[in-house]
Amino acid sequence: MLLSLIPLGLLFALTVTLARTYHAREEGLVQEWFQKGNEDLATGQPGRAFEDFRNSLSYEPNNDLVQLRLAEALLADGRLSESRAYLVNLWDRSPGSGEVNLDLAHISSRMGDPEQAIPYYRAAIYGSWAGDAVGQRRKVRFELCEFLLSRNLLSDAGVEIAALSAELSPGEAIQHEQAGQLFLKDAQPGKALEEFEVALQANPRQNQWFEEAGKAAFDSGSYLKAEAYLAKVSPENLSGPDSELLDRVREVLSDDPFRQGLNEDERAQRTWHDFQAGLDRLQKCSQSSASLLSADQTAAVQDLNRDAQSAKKQIQLRALRTNPELRISAMKLIYQIENTTSHYCGEATSIDQALILIQQRHAGNDQ
Amino acid sequence: MTERSDPIEEMKTSISTTESTPVELKSPGSRWLGGRQRSFTLSEGNLFLVLAVIIGLFSGMAVVCFRITIEWVRLGLLGSALAPSPLRVLLVPATTGLVVAFLIQKFFLAARGSGVNQTKAAVYVFDGYVPFRTVIGKFITCSLAIGSGQSLGPEDPSLQMGAGIASALGRRLKLSRDKLRLLAPVGAAAGLAAAFNAPISAVLFVIEEVIGTWSAGALGAIVLAAVSSAVVMRSFLGGEPMFRVPPYTLAHPAELLAYAVLGVVGGVLSIAMMRIIAYLRPRLRDLPPWTQYVQPAAAGLLIGIVGLRIPQAMGAGYPYIDQALHNQYTWEILAVLGFAKILTTSLSFVSGTPGGMFAPTLFIGAMIGGAIGGLEHHFFPQISASVGPFALVGMGTFFAGFLRVPITSVFMVVETTGNYSIVLPVMISNTIAYLISRKYQDVALFDLLAKQDDLELPSMEEQREQAVLRVEDAMRKPESVSLQAGDTLARALELAETSPEEIVLVRFPTGRWASVTKKELNAQASNRSKETQLRELLSTARIPILHPDQRLDDVLRHIQGHPLLPVVSRAGSRKLEGVISLPDILSAYKKAT
Repeated sequence: MLLSLIPLGLLFALTVTLARTYHAREEGLVQEWFQKGNEDLATGQPGRAFEDFRNSLSYEPNNDLVQLRLAEALLADGRLSESRAYLVNLWDRSPGSGEVNLDLAHISSRMGDPEQAIPYYRAAIYGSWAGDAVGQRRKVRFELCEFLLSRNLLSDAGVEIAALSAELSPGEAIQHEQAGQLFLKDAQPGKALEEFEVALQANPRQNQWFEEAGKAAFDSGSYLKAEAYLAKVSPENLSGPDSELLDRVREVLSDDPFRQGLNEDERAQRTWHDFQAGLDRLQKCSQSSASLLSADQTAAVQDLNRDAQSAKKQIQLRALRTNPELRISAMKLIYQIENTTSHYCGEATSIDQALILIQQRHAGNDQ
Repeated sequence: MTERSDPIEEMKTSISTTESTPVELKSPGSRWLGGRQRSFTLSEGNLFLVLAVIIGLFSGMAVVCFRITIEWVRLGLLGSALAPSPLRVLLVPATTGLVVAFLIQKFFLAARGSGVNQTKAAVYVFDGYVPFRTVIGKFITCSLAIGSGQSLGPEDPSLQMGAGIASALGRRLKLSRDKLRLLAPVGAAAGLAAAFNAPISAVLFVIEEVIGTWSAGALGAIVLAAVSSAVVMRSFLGGEPMFRVPPYTLAHPAELLAYAVLGVVGGVLSIAMMRIIAYLRPRLRDLPPWTQYVQPAAAGLLIGIVGLRIPQAMGAGYPYIDQALHNQYTWEILAVLGFAKILTTSLSFVSGTPGGMFAPTLFIGAMIGGAIGGLEHHFFPQISASVGPFALVGMGTFFAGFLRVPITSVFMVVETTGNYSIVLPVMISNTIAYLISRKYQDVALFDLLAKQDDLELPSMEEQREQAVLRVEDAMRKPESVSLQAGDTLARALELAETSPEEIVLVRFPTGRWASVTKKELNAQASNRSKETQLRELLSTARIPILHPDQRLDDVLRHIQGHPLLPVVSRAGSRKLEGVISLPDILSAYKKAT
C-alpha cells in the first residue's frame, strides 16, 4: 500500500504541472479573445465581437464580465432574446449589478416592454457599479428620464428628473442644463428655468443656454426674465424664431396694463391701446369670416362685435384713467375678443398673440 | 498489414502471460505502518475501503490529465477558436484518424470502443482484470481522437481508465479474486465521477449498468472512490457544474405536456441512432482487416466535411450545449445540429475510433430538446417559457432513451447543471423516452455492442426487468390443521392420522414454529405418556418461518434440511397462510420458465 504512494506522488506532480500550464494558457486565451471582442465591438462589428467573446467564454464559462460583453455584443447585433438569456442568467447571480440591469432595461425597452424596463432602470440606478459609480448612476437616471418622456409617462418622469436635479451640485453646469432640457420636455418650464439659471451661474459664457433659459422663462410666463435672457443671446446666434420670441416678449411687457410699477395713466394708455387692437382684430375677423364661417359662428362673431361697439362708448381713455374696474372689464372683453377671433379667424399674431399671453399671465387673478 | 486480432483474446493472452495468480490476503488483515512501538492492522474489508479512496485519487488525477491533454491536442490541432479554419476542419480529423487507427491496430487493440462494455467484461469475464496497457492506449488514442474533432466524448474512456487503474492497484496489492472483481466497478465509478464532475450519477451508472445490484460491500467502496475522485477533479479543474443553466420555473402546467412530447421524440430518435449503429458497426468490422487502418480517417474526413458547415458537430461539443441552454440558436438550427451530431457520432463510433458516447448523447439531447422547445414555443407561446429548459431536459431524455439508464439520466441532469427545479419535467420526459426505447428496441445499446463483440455479458436491464418469484407463487394451502404446542401426544397422533402429509407443523403461543413427522410422534408415543404435551417434546425445536412476499431465491438458502416450512402472515406469525416445500419451489420455477 505504501508503495502505491510513490506513483501517486508522481502523478500528483504531473497533474499539478499540467493543470498549471493549461490554466495559464486558458487565462491567456480568455484575455486574448476578450480583447479582440472589445476591439471588434468598439469598431462596430458586433457579429465578430460576439464570436470572439464566445471563444473567450469557452475557456472560462463562468466569467461574468465576458458573459456581459457577449450579451452586449448580441444586443448590439440585434439578437435580443439570446442576449436576454445571458443577462437573465447573470442577473440571477448578481441581481444588484448596475450594468446587467441597465442592459436588461435596454433589451426590455427594445422588445417593447416598458413595464419591465423601468424596474431594471431603477435597479441599475441603485445597483453596484465598478469605477465611477456616481457618474454611472446619474447617466442611467438621465437615460431613464429620457425613456419615460419618450413613453409619455410624464408624472414618473417628473419624479425622476426632480431626483436627478436634487443630486446635482451647483457647479455641474452641463448636468443642470440637461436637467433643464428634461424639465422642458416634461412640460415643467418653471423648473427648467431654475436649472438653466443654475447652469448659467456656473458657466455664464454658454450663449445657447441663455436662449434656452429665455424660452423656459417665456413658457413659464416670466417675461421679464425671458427678455433678459433672450437679450443676452448674441445677435449672430439669435435665430429667426428666437428673434420673434423676443419681440413677442417685449410686446407682452409693453402692452400689459397690469404690470407692476405702472402709474394709472400708463395703465389706462395700455388698456386703451389693447382695446383698439382688439377692435381691429374683431373687425377684420367679421369682414373676412362671412364666407368661411357657419351661420352660428358668424352669429357669434356678430354678437361679440355688437357688444364691443356698445362697450366702446364706455371705454374711453379718460374713464380708464380714473376707473380701475373699467380697465379690468375692458381687458376681459379684449381677452374674449382675442379668444373668439383666434378660434374662428386663425391664430393670433403680433400684438393679438401678446394679448392672449397677457391673459394667460394673469389667469386666475382678478386683474 | 497484420491480421486483425481480437481485443478480448488479447486480454485473455495477457492474463495468462503477465499476471500472477491473485493471492488471498491473509486474514485478519495486512500489517502496515509497522513499528516496534505501534502497529496497525486492517481487515481486507477496511483495506478495500482505503484502497477505494486511493483509486479515487489516482483516477481523479488521471482524468484531469486526460481532459487537459484533450484540450492541448485540440488547441494544437484545431486552434483556439470554437469554429476552426476550414483547412484544419477538413484535414485534422482525417489525418489524426490515420494515426489513431495505426496506434490501435499496432499497440492498443483493447482501446477500441467506448469502454463501458470492456469494464463489464473485466468484471464478468476476466476476474476484474483490465490491462494497464489499455489505460495508456485509451489515454493516448482518445486524446488524439477527441482533440482532433471526432464526435466522441471523454467520459466512457475515463470510466475504463479508472477501472484499469483500480485493477492494476488491486493486482499490485495481490487482492483476492472477489475483491479484484469488485475493484473494476470501483475504479469505473471514480473515472466517471471525475469526467462528469458528477459523483452521484457515476455511482448510479455503475450500479445500473455495470454491477446491477445495490450490494452494500461494493457500494461503500464505489461511493468513496467516486467522491475522492470528484474532489480531486474539482480541486484541479474547479467545482462549477458542467453546464450553467438559466433559471427555470414551470410557466404553465400544460408545459409538462410539451415535455411529454419531447420524451416521445427523444425515445424515437434514440432508437433511430441505436439502429444506425447496430446496422453499420458489424458491417464495417467485417470489412477486410486493412480497412481498419483507414476507417477512423474516413470517418474523420466525413466529419470534417460536415464540420465545414456545422463545426458544432465536431468534438465532444460541451460549449455548444452551453449555448443551446442559453437560447443561442433558433429551433431550426438546433434541429440541424442534433441530426448532424447523430450522423457524426455514429460515423466516429462505428469506425472503431476510441471515445465515449456520453458527451455526444448529451449534445444530441440538448439540441433536439431545444428544437422541440422552440417549435412548441413557436406554436404555443403561452405554454412554454423558453428553449433553455427544453435543451436541459432533452439531455437527460436522450441519455435515458439511448443509453437506457433511467435513474442515472435524471440525476445526471441535476448534477451536471446544479439545478434541481427542473427535475419534474426531466422525470416525465426521461421515463417516456426510456419506455419507448425499451418497447421498440429489444436490446439495449451496451448489450447490443457486447453481442456484436461476441461477449455474453449480463444485461443489467434484463436483470432489472426479470420477474421475481416470491413465496406466494410457490406456497400451497396446508392439507391438515397444524398442531398446537399445548396438544397432548394422544391428540397429536389423532390429528396427524387425518393428515395426508408425513410432516405436521406445530405452533407455539410465542409465534415459534416446529415440525414433527408422524413417525417421530409414534416413536414418542411408545416411550412416553400419551398425556405428555408437545411443547415438552419439542422444547428446543425451531424451524424458519417464511412470509408470502419473500423472494424464492432467498428461501432456497433456508429450506435445506426442512421438508416443510410454514408461510405466515407478517401481521402475526401465528397466522398460517400456507406451507412450502422444495418440490413446491422447483415446480414454481418450472412453471415460470
